[in-house]
Amino acid sequence: MSGERGAGALPRGELRGRDVVSAKDLTREDAELIFEVAREVEADPGRFSGVLRGKRVALLFVEPSTRTFSSFYIAARRLGGDVLPLNEPEMTSLSKGETLYDTLKMLEGYGVDCVVMRHPARGAARFAADVISAPVINAGSGSQEHPTQALLDVYTILKKRGKVDGTSLGMLGDLKFSRTVPSLAYLISNFDGVELTFIAPPALQVRQEVELFLRERAVSYTKVTRQQEIPDAVSRLDVLYVTRLQKERFPDPSEYERLKGSYRVDMGMLRHARPTLGVMHPLPRVDELDAEIDRTPHAWYFDQASYGLPVRMALYALVLGDAG
Amino acid sequence: MSGEEQLLVRKIDWGTVIDHIPSWKADQVLKLIEAESLTKDPDVSVIVLKSVPSRKYGRKDVIKLYHYYIKEPDAALIKLLFPTATINFIRDWKVQKYVPNLPEELVGKVRCPEVTCISNAKREPVVRRFRVLKEQGYVQCYYCDALLEISSIPDFIAA
Repeated sequence: MSGERGAGALPRGELRGRDVVSAKDLTREDAELIFEVAREVEADPGRFSGVLRGKRVALLFVEPSTRTFSSFYIAARRLGGDVLPLNEPEMTSLSKGETLYDTLKMLEGYGVDCVVMRHPARGAARFAADVISAPVINAGSGSQEHPTQALLDVYTILKKRGKVDGTSLGMLGDLKFSRTVPSLAYLISNFDGVELTFIAPPALQVRQEVELFLRERAVSYTKVTRQQEIPDAVSRLDVLYVTRLQKERFPDPSEYERLKGSYRVDMGMLRHARPTLGVMHPLPRVDELDAEIDRTPHAWYFDQASYGLPVRMALYALVLGDAG
Repeated sequence: MSGEEQLLVRKIDWGTVIDHIPSWKADQVLKLIEAESLTKDPDVSVIVLKSVPSRKYGRKDVIKLYHYYIKEPDAALIKLLFPTATINFIRDWKVQKYVPNLPEELVGKVRCPEVTCISNAKREPVVRRFRVLKEQGYVQCYYCDALLEISSIPDFIAA
């Protein structure tokens, strides 16, 4: 990464006008460009204050969100864009039975320049990108993907470790219904020498399509399913990425009750870890991550959350900003 | 078809013969081609032979679609599921072999196995699409990435 942009020059790149639907669509170059601009945003946010001037961004959030919605909202405002927040059911006619298709067509009719969308249906973002010509940024599509979370996750690893290549990354928790896990696995697979370890009981293991993708990309990964294997697995990691049990996505509530509390990351587990191990979590957490870790250097998750803003500002700037 | 089979079912003047279907798999082919809906046309008949002797495979199933030419996407789907199957068009009693191209994508025909996929949402105008991953033995939903085993496709034919 060069970081050689002159003051005042606005970012250019291959991302201009593109949809960001899946982390599979993002190359290493795309990610590095976003990270380069994110660093510039962090260093001098004022320089970017007019990048979205005259642009209208619709935030169509059909599922609850705090962090992602707020950071996309604030990011667009800080870049000088107009934001149309559609995050309450009564703000759209979706709650009255309007189709997503009609809602998107209406937004297109209003001349929005970009739609940031969260939707409970898997595949909704891909569908939206086909329906409207303006770029669609996927802010979460059911249990499928959350590509901008993956961007800030990999950015966190870059910031904390100084490099992404060669990272030994463990993902622990509900890997089956998590949307951040597939996106992170897809995005980080662009980097060299990455090793992935999926730590979860069989019922919560990573989805088949993720494994297929990793095999196609020849990315090294292992699955750890037994409790007694966890200490050894954790001892070999640079980063441990913990996810919450996605209660809302369990088709069978009794299955949720059975698995609730089946894993928990605490100082006992980290006893076996490298001193430099970073613990990440997309948040919100419930009880899978002990608050005791907050006070240790292992805790990367609050910094991780804070990177959502510069990364999303960088993404907006590259997808929508006028090249100088 | 051998002379012995022709004794079982008479020749047809025009239509389609799907031969060399693995034994007892004819019902799956019938699902793929939505055979029941074909017979809404009073001129069409569906004739099924199950587990008849085959020199090449020991036993096989055969389907004759009397007065109906199978559509290319359906032929391709049959070939995808049952590579041994052969498809012949009969025109004026004459047999014409038909070899469909294997599709890279299945459009419209197959329902996504993932219930929360947008392509299963009622009223959304979504065109169902799957990428064919023949070597891996799956098709993959274009929208939600869900995998469906090729052998399970007959259970997910869109209504």
